Amino acid sequence: MIQVRDLFKRYPSGTVALDGVSLDVAAGEFVALIGSSGAGKSTFLRCLNGLVTPTAGHVSVDGREVTGASRSGLRGVRASVGFVFQQFNLLKRLSVLHNVLVGTLSRVDMWRSLLGRFPGGELDRARRTLGRVGLAGLDDRRADTLSGGQQQRVAIARALVQEPRVLLADEPMSSLDPASSRAVMELLQDINREDGLTVIASLHVLDLAVTYGRRIVGLRAGRVVHDGSSAGLTQAAAEAIFGGEPL
Amino acid sequence: MSSGRRWAGGLAIAAAFIWSAWSTEVSLGRLVEGIPFMLDFIGRMLPPDPRVLGQALRGALQTLQIAVAGTAVGAVLALPVAFAGARNTSPRWAFYWTRSALNAFRAIDTLVYALFFVAAVGLGPFPGVLAVVVYTATVLAKLYSEAIEAMDPGPVEAVEAVGATRLQVLRWGVVPQLLPQFLSFTLYRFETNIRAATVLGFVGAGGIGFYIQTHLRLMNYPAASTVLLVLVAMVMLVDFASSRLRARLV
Repeated sequence: MIQVRDLFKRYPSGTVALDGVSLDVAAGEFVALIGSSGAGKSTFLRCLNGLVTPTAGHVSVDGREVTGASRSGLRGVRASVGFVFQQFNLLKRLSVLHNVLVGTLSRVDMWRSLLGRFPGGELDRARRTLGRVGLAGLDDRRADTLSGGQQQRVAIARALVQEPRVLLADEPMSSLDPASSRAVMELLQDINREDGLTVIASLHVLDLAVTYGRRIVGLRAGRVVHDGSSAGLTQAAAEAIFGGEPL
Repeated sequence: MSSGRRWAGGLAIAAAFIWSAWSTEVSLGRLVEGIPFMLDFIGRMLPPDPRVLGQALRGALQTLQIAVAGTAVGAVLALPVAFAGARNTSPRWAFYWTRSALNAFRAIDTLVYALFFVAAVGLGPFPGVLAVVVYTATVLAKLYSEAIEAMDPGPVEAVEAVGATRLQVLRWGVVPQLLPQFLSFTLYRFETNIRAATVLGFVGAGGIGFYIQTHLRLMNYPAASTVLLVLVAMVMLVDFASSRLRARLV
């Protein structure tokens, strides 16, 4: 489903975020991407849907080239990849329903979308998706009146309504309290199991990664330093990923 | 700050004040001597002359119209300039030149623009509208561009991430963040423009100011006070309505 070869990213500031990352992810996997902050997790995920353009290397998702894709090619890739952000990145003043409808933009007619006239079928789909993430009935609430956990569910609904093949989540719970974190991770797990969506979630909390990720990939200083099943994650491996910091 | 520097700072401010007051012939004595004349002036303004009420209302209406037309056109002109003058939506050189030009234009007040446009297109409310347009466009462009710079890039990135086109990103990622602020700034500017437009008549650029100046010059103080009362009522009414509206936007 996802192929990454020798990915390298140097920012204009000179920071090397990715230093030769290669990774294959099969359809239906749930990968927990772990590493301390600055290890390159966010950059890696953003290279997968072209939000960040790598300096060198190769990415393809679901058989489509991401690196070197044209503007419209990139839109096609992004349409099939849901992305969930650490800070939710909702439009705070818009209704919950409109935030979810943003996920349909690549499908709906451009002019209708600019006028905010979404087709009835998409409205139904958006409402169903809100029900799926446990937010039925909150359609008309302004996004910023919801709790953090609810806002992240809206963001997940926005990604799901895209009907993507892949769901990328960049530290989806690090702005949330422990209970909401678990709820969000369980939701991602359900989506992975029931819909067969390929999920890559970056996490900086090891126990969440071990609980929810069937496969754990450890990044450190822009390199893959661990790749294995969660069962096989040893103390030594964890120290290699986090550099012997207290966990 | 050391106490020595504080003393030096205080001394400098005091010196600047004394120098300025002396140069501008500030005199408490002359102010006190003037008090009877002020009271006499106010006395002669009373009671207001109701016969000029219709004229005052027409002037107020025209001032309102100048402010509405000038603010609307100025706001529209400010939009593209604001994006050119925002650090995050404009190349560095364009940002630099736009901001510098805006600062230069903004240094000149509406009344000075009015003098310029009266000379260019003749007397009447039209040069007044033009003056309000130019000043409003430059002020709003600055305020808008600051709002653009303060915009949260997160939601914009999120709309890009679903595979939206550039126009869709603008409509669903940018506009929802900026529109309420832009409307609020525009309304605030409208309130200020009403006040600026009240004196446009002094230079022949239309509105209620013409009547104020005429009656004062003819020493028809009761008529002048009627016009002033209408002006105060109009400004208060607009301020009230506009600030209520702005409170609902945020």
